[in-house]
Amino acid sequence: MTRKLIKRTCLALSLGAASFTLSACDGVTVGVGYGYDPFYDSLLWNDYYHDVDVDIDVDRPVRPKPPVGKPPARPKPPIAKPPARPRPPVARPPTARPPIHRPAPRR
Amino acid sequence: MFLRISSAIAAIWLGAAPVLADTPVTYTDNGRALFSFSVPDFWAVRTGGTREIEDTQLGDPRAVARVMGIRPVTDDNVWIGFVAPAGVASIDGGLRYLQDVDKFLVKSPVVSDNVSTRIGGLPAQVIRGTGTRDGRGVNFTATVIDLPNDRVAVAVAVLRDGADPAYVEDLNAVFASFRAAR
Repeated sequence: MTRKLIKRTCLALSLGAASFTLSACDGVTVGVGYGYDPFYDSLLWNDYYHDVDVDIDVDRPVRPKPPVGKPPARPKPPIAKPPARPRPPVARPPTARPPIHRPAPRR
Repeated sequence: MFLRISSAIAAIWLGAAPVLADTPVTYTDNGRALFSFSVPDFWAVRTGGTREIEDTQLGDPRAVARVMGIRPVTDDNVWIGFVAPAGVASIDGGLRYLQDVDKFLVKSPVVSDNVSTRIGGLPAQVIRGTGTRDGRGVNFTATVIDLPNDRVAVAVAVLRDGADPAYVEDLNAVFASFRAAR
């Protein structure tokens, strides 16, 4: 009886330890993505061509002046939509399948 | 017999381990190659291009050159980026460019080392130091490399606190692989 109890206790403890060990692995994976790349963005952004104290002229191409007055109104999108494509039938006729199991021929 | 086989397998294993296969990439500007370097295995490359970006608050557009950044796939605490800014022709100009970049790169930078050296056989200035970024300590190495035809390459290597120090070897391998285009 005592032996059985010790066995059961050991089993319960090992299961508990295993569950803790497995849960510890959760979230350890390193997530990699380019959503936020502080160093890349920092090297990209600079004040070199902006700072007035810098005594270097960078030949920047002349930007075209914006047209005077309001731009012409954009064409309105059509209200009516093109007819929807014919939809395939939801229910299809059942395909005839050969029986997988066949009764054995009688002897 | 088993011992012999296992020792043979171990010999093959040890012999095969130190093989490296870096990937060369070339930085170009307007279709002209300026320099190249090797990307270590299991590193990711990100490249941009020449364009104009605008500060939404200031409303001032400014030109930016191509920035190429690489970093280990599994560690975003390590990063090295290259840029060849337009209109910068000398190391002094490159250092002035860095002064206009460093405030975005690290906060409270403290320069520990500023030496002239050669990278890829070209004259270069290397500035090492520390600072902070997003509240974390940062170790940086900024270099300006004098390229032929009145151009410079600016390279900034960054190791944030918590980065595996073994990546220093990879970063140095990238610098060692740096070559100007002919």
